[in-house]
Amino acid sequence: MFPWVYGFEWTAGRIVFLGIFFSVLLVMFLTVAFVFLKSAVHFRTGRAYFIQWKSLFHELPRASRACRHALTGHLPGRVCEGAFECRECSKHGELLEQGREAAIGAGAEEIMGMTVPLDRYYHRGHCWVKPLKKGLVAVGLDELGRRLVGRPDAVETPPPGTWLVANSTAFWVKRNGTAVRVLAPVDGEVIAAGGPSDDWILKVRPPAPLDTRHLLRGDEVRAWYRREVERLELIAGRADGAPALADGGELCADLGEAFPERWDAVCGEMLLDT
Amino acid sequence: MTTALTPSMLLQRERELIRRGVDRCPLPQFLMWTAPWFALLVFGCYAAWLCLSQGLFHTNMDNQYAFGLWIFLDLAVIALGAGAFFTGFLLYVARKQEMKAVINSAVVIGLVCYSGAVAVLMVDVGQPLRAWFTFWHPNVHSMLTEVTFCITAYLTVLLIEYLPVALKNRKLCRVTRYAVFEYELHRLMVVFALLGAFLSFFHQGSLGGLYGVLRGRPFAFREGFGIWPSTFFLFIVSAAAVGPSFIALTTWITEKLSGHRLVEGRVYDTLARISGKILLVYVALKAADTLVWMNATAPARGFAARGFYETQPFGTWILLAEIGVFGLLPGWLLVSRRARASRAVLLCGAALACAGVALNRFVMTIQTLALPTLPFERPAQYWPSWQEAGTFLAVIAFGVLVYSFSFRYLTLFPQERELAFGGEKE
Amino acid sequence: MIRKNAEGKHARYGMLIDLDRCDGCGACMVACAVENNIPPGRPGANARTGLNWIKVHRIETGGRPAFLPIMCQQCEDETPCVEVCPQNAVELDPATGVVGQIPQRCLGCRYCVTACPYHARVFNWGDPEWPAGMEKTLNPLVSPRMRGVVEKCNFCHGRWHAAREKAAADGSTGNGPVNYVPACVEACPAGAMAFGDLNDPDSALTRAVAAGEAFRLLDLLQTGPKTFYKTAFAAVRKGVAGERDA
Repeated sequence: MFPWVYGFEWTAGRIVFLGIFFSVLLVMFLTVAFVFLKSAVHFRTGRAYFIQWKSLFHELPRASRACRHALTGHLPGRVCEGAFECRECSKHGELLEQGREAAIGAGAEEIMGMTVPLDRYYHRGHCWVKPLKKGLVAVGLDELGRRLVGRPDAVETPPPGTWLVANSTAFWVKRNGTAVRVLAPVDGEVIAAGGPSDDWILKVRPPAPLDTRHLLRGDEVRAWYRREVERLELIAGRADGAPALADGGELCADLGEAFPERWDAVCGEMLLDT
Repeated sequence: MTTALTPSMLLQRERELIRRGVDRCPLPQFLMWTAPWFALLVFGCYAAWLCLSQGLFHTNMDNQYAFGLWIFLDLAVIALGAGAFFTGFLLYVARKQEMKAVINSAVVIGLVCYSGAVAVLMVDVGQPLRAWFTFWHPNVHSMLTEVTFCITAYLTVLLIEYLPVALKNRKLCRVTRYAVFEYELHRLMVVFALLGAFLSFFHQGSLGGLYGVLRGRPFAFREGFGIWPSTFFLFIVSAAAVGPSFIALTTWITEKLSGHRLVEGRVYDTLARISGKILLVYVALKAADTLVWMNATAPARGFAARGFYETQPFGTWILLAEIGVFGLLPGWLLVSRRARASRAVLLCGAALACAGVALNRFVMTIQTLALPTLPFERPAQYWPSWQEAGTFLAVIAFGVLVYSFSFRYLTLFPQERELAFGGEKE
Repeated sequence: MIRKNAEGKHARYGMLIDLDRCDGCGACMVACAVENNIPPGRPGANARTGLNWIKVHRIETGGRPAFLPIMCQQCEDETPCVEVCPQNAVELDPATGVVGQIPQRCLGCRYCVTACPYHARVFNWGDPEWPAGMEKTLNPLVSPRMRGVVEKCNFCHGRWHAAREKAAADGSTGNGPVNYVPACVEACPAGAMAFGDLNDPDSALTRAVAAGEAFRLLDLLQTGPKTFYKTAFAAVRKGVAGERDA
């Protein structure tokens, strides 16, 4: 094995054989060491949570990964490859430069019996972001999200002072003994957590100025909601032999009651949890 | 604050380990499935323990039949486990994206086959605690040294390849550290795919060389190129041929047992096509090698080839079966687009190919030792003892268990979720 | 393979067995077992699971039965067992030409057993056991082997070693004509076995080989055995040598 081991001889066969063996070991070791190093760098630069989301994102079914511009019909059939991080997407940047950015709306829209206010931004994980005064934003579950979650047994929010990373865990909703993770729509420091009577769940201080490029707004929300209801039909239909989800075109108010057995599966899939 | 763990809570907890979007049977049903395999594993471990603690007289091997069922098992499962390296090679190096659908399953199958083979090898050798001697004082001229080095290194590669699959478990991937490590490791998988292909090339080959170099066993001895006899290359090609077939077969069995579609239909088609093409190449090479051996190699050493087939039950039928029924026939079934269009025909072809390679390994290990060398000798008889069979079955049970647990808690077939979602995608 | 540094003149120890003299009494097998501390066979052991380093086969060659003692043939051309051992537990000693088996290094993989065309290698399938009292008869010059390792004939290495020590004590190098005989040769009542150095032109062995009287088993396998046989009967030679389609 080594020159100092009894019986070792510097013969050609031995040099070739052991040379190859040690090279293989070295390559294996260096590769794994490099992976460790790279992971450590991600933690240091704060990208770790995004990477975590990215690795999970690619496990999602294609239907859950549709590009926002596919929803509005600008880029039909496009599937997002960037983990919904439009801030880093060159295609999205191009479209923004062409002035194709959807405008934030006003008032509210009725979609399948759900009231969807258009004065705020929406994240694909069914959280909305509403700018408040003093650089704060409110974060809450949107109407579809609320109907999915129903009446949770508990909402586990991070303590004030926690730094949220967009697309990492914002908070957990618990019901029937299981928990579903809700994605954070923005980066920022948690300032306060709302109680059961508030319509918001977290108040967050994001870095100024507020970057909303990755969030849906205006017309996009309408298209997205229609697609989400379709997706829900698909998931729920698969889950429980397709009982009536929507009664007379209206989505039932509490899916947790409609599907006590499959709440975890349906809600988790809709909220892009693993 | 602690609450008593009720059975329903236990079931709930267990379900939280299973990825969303895929259906798995309830835990009790799963445990019912694993129970007989566990029983078999325990029985086999007892048999292996007898051999380890008291000696190999518990086996029916002897000084003439020094290798038996276990070596056959090693060679066969390692050939079948070749799907791991070959699928990895096709996906990461040849960039065949369809292989993404089965790569995780292939890695688990490879891991199961190789760890099982190494485990049974440790029972097979008389002094397993001296296994490190091979590393410390290697005889680089021995094929067994090549096998030992390559299989150990490749088993490490397989463990590293299994790591990202395991870390994708629903609970584990929530740990940011694991998820980031998994993500980065996955990005460099091509390195391990290349290493795996390189190492597999050599150890599949050297397993063939193991017998091909036996100048004292004219039935197995082959001329070759440089230090490698022709069996070295035949084993590589046959393992590459049968690997995808075995993946197709296990995928289908898993689909039937779980009751879910796991891969798109075209994945079967691709696996079968690749397997069939290589199998036909193998059959051609094998036929050429057999002719050279019959007409030149064996006679030069004082043995007429027909003499090898006078020993019952090892008549010429075994050679014809190897080349015809288990070679040409599955090769044609898998290559012909019309034939493999039927799933049943395709699976038949895959099963025949797998059986053919197992038969080839059987011939190389068992038949080689049965045939006499000295002119006055009679053919040796050998029938495995229950301890040998038990250890053999333990390896199978171990494989089924590891695969079952991996299938339940990990994502072995990434398309499963997609297919459950909305059927086949173009 | 580890090549030992050979001092002085090299020897090629070999043996000549006269099949016409062998009457199959088995004295060589007994002498070998006693000399080399071979334990009694396990209950249920047979010819193929026992530990005999030398085995006498009875062969029907048509008319006249012949007896053929087979032990390690001490091959010297790409010795099959030496080539295959993964961890150098088998080596060809260039000083004597004897193929040595080092049980302390042996892993028990039995690849060498498979490689040997003469079935001259035996494996310890269980722990060696001597009946009470019999262990007192053990030869102190030969270490017993443990379970799970391979062993075989080494032309009585213990005797060779003792002869070297004696020569050294006498002030000689010990290099020179063969100065010991293996136990089987000594025990053979018919004088059918002769031990010698193939590099020594005066030995009976070398002269017989040179005269073309001797033949080797499975010569065409090109393993180059240094154990030779001789017989006056063509049928016997045909029945044992394995020269069938030569």
